[in-house]
Amino acid sequence: MTVEKILLEFDAELKNLLPVLKKINAEFGYVGEEEAQKVADYFSLPLSKVYETASFYDLINTKRQPPLMIQVCSGANCAVKSAYKIISEIENQLHIKAGDDFNPNVKLEIISCLGQCGRGPIMIINKKIFTQVTPSSAREFLHNYM
Amino acid sequence: MVKETKIITKNWSQIDPNEIDDAIEAGGYRALEKFIHKMTPALALEEIKLSGLCGRGGAGFPTGIKLESVQKEKGKEKYFICNLDESEPGAYKDRSIVDSDPHMLLEGIIIESLIVGARKAFIYVNGNYQKQIEILQRAVEQARAKNFIGEQILGSKYNLEVEIFAGAGAYICGEETALINSIEGNRGEPKARPPFPTQCGLFGKPTAVNNAETVANIPWIISNGGKKFATIGSKKSAGTKLFIVNGCVKNPGVFEAPLGTKLADLIEKYAGGMQNGKNFWFAQVGGSSGRLVLENDLVRKLEYDREAKIPLGSGAILVVDKTADIHELLLSWMSFFRRESCGKCVPCREGTYRLWEIAKRLQDGEISERDVAAIKDILWTLNNTTFCPLGKFAATAFGDALSNFQKEIYRLSK
Ligand SMILES: Cc1cc2nc3c(=O)[nH]c(=O)nc-3n(C[C@H](O)[C@H](O)[C@H](O)COP(=O)(O)O)c2cc1C
Ligand code: SF4
Ligand code: FES
Repeated sequence: MTVEKILLEFDAELKNLLPVLKKINAEFGYVGEEEAQKVADYFSLPLSKVYETASFYDLINTKRQPPLMIQVCSGANCAVKSAYKIISEIENQLHIKAGDDFNPNVKLEIISCLGQCGRGPIMIINKKIFTQVTPSSAREFLHNYM
Repeated sequence: MVKETKIITKNWSQIDPNEIDDAIEAGGYRALEKFIHKMTPALALEEIKLSGLCGRGGAGFPTGIKLESVQKEKGKEKYFICNLDESEPGAYKDRSIVDSDPHMLLEGIIIESLIVGARKAFIYVNGNYQKQIEILQRAVEQARAKNFIGEQILGSKYNLEVEIFAGAGAYICGEETALINSIEGNRGEPKARPPFPTQCGLFGKPTAVNNAETVANIPWIISNGGKKFATIGSKKSAGTKLFIVNGCVKNPGVFEAPLGTKLADLIEKYAGGMQNGKNFWFAQVGGSSGRLVLENDLVRKLEYDREAKIPLGSGAILVVDKTADIHELLLSWMSFFRRESCGKCVPCREGTYRLWEIAKRLQDGEISERDVAAIKDILWTLNNTTFCPLGKFAATAFGDALSNFQKEIYRLSK
């Protein structure tokens, strides 16, 4: 689906700006400058306004994401169930630091509670959710993506 | 066993959430029929005021008073918003309502909208709740097919459209003015008030915002009367509450219990007691923004009361035993608030960042004298100078932990 096709599904009303950005993000993985410019034109807004909104929200990326995205919940419930040990394990294993953007191939992100606390700790690899993760099971799951 | 009082959970696991006929058979939409055929908005408002219902989203504001101020506003264009953003760590009660009985919620939304005179309602749903968004979409379609939504509802003069708006991952968007900004296509930052949303809300029009759990109480109140509702719960705080008990307990989950239930009973009788025979260390009541409760306060009642030592907030309760690492918890709280601070005001943006850095140093055992002094300053600043309550939230648990567990946190020998 092209950006133009997505735009045509929506009226150019402000309340549709966030839904449009989310849909473009879902389709392309991020909202780049070219896409943002088309959105700006469609809504008759300055490009900066579109970026202002897009850059605020966690579920919208303004940069291309690496092919391997690992996310670990560090909400208090997961934290009391050893989420931080899982984070260290992944950091050591992949030689990356949580939150860093330096490696173009893999990123480890610490995220907030997903409301799955009863089944925590929670880890997400490329959108697939793993529950009741331990440091050693985290290592195993990761192997399948390497 | 506990004597059960069920208002919100009465149909849970009895009906198929995707079948409106199931809901109707279980008594759904009868309150809407009663409202339309036998009541006026003023009369229905009176019942809600009598009930003593107050907001379940955290602040505990009386629902009747909020609806009244929107009802009083002139103008034809008004909005009702059901707040289902629910991004408080440890909270999944509103999601459970959608999973188990979406039509009770929808019925409440319709009634509240008609009471305030709104012709358009939004359900603002946490962007991560994909499955719930689909359930709600189906529920709205089914309700429209039965003419509970749409033009001339059940042959009356009322019209209403309900739209589902999915959030995009920002805790602050649960705050009502930030939520409104987000629907308007802006960054989800809080707005100054006054003007309050009840006068100048979505697109500048009078808007009532209610938490999903608050809304789910409305059909019961309309059907059974406000007076009867007021007899449930404690003297200060009427009705039941969905408590979410997590952490080191045997059966974590969502439980409906009368307001005024003691924390000790929630842990023992509802959540099955402590896990693995371990001893209780402390609990955090009200999600990441909640206060820490030690053993001697376990007998306190949980209720909405401005003077309460333990504010109830959203009702999320984290139970902790000694296996938990307090440094990891400090880091968990601060990394949450650092990420979720919207950045609009300096004290919160910088304060949460600095406290997060200090929490990391605390965990690594590299704390300096300067840090110890800075912590005090930062906590004071967060408590007293931030633009919206998130700043205060960020200081609450950290401050409580410091005053109660100084020895553990600073690794002092005595
Ligand atoms: C930082 C912050 C986050 C909030 N998050 C939520 C939320 O996720 N859900 C919610 O219903 N209310 C939330 N609130 C409260 C809302 O601003 C608002 O008071 C509430 O939706 C009103 O509904 P009620 O009166 O039914 O509780 C939050 C408030 C603040 C300050
Ligand atoms: S206190 Fe924090 S969340 Fe609230 S407006 Fe200021 S920066 Fe934003
Ligand atoms: S704290 Fe991790 S899912 Fe809730």
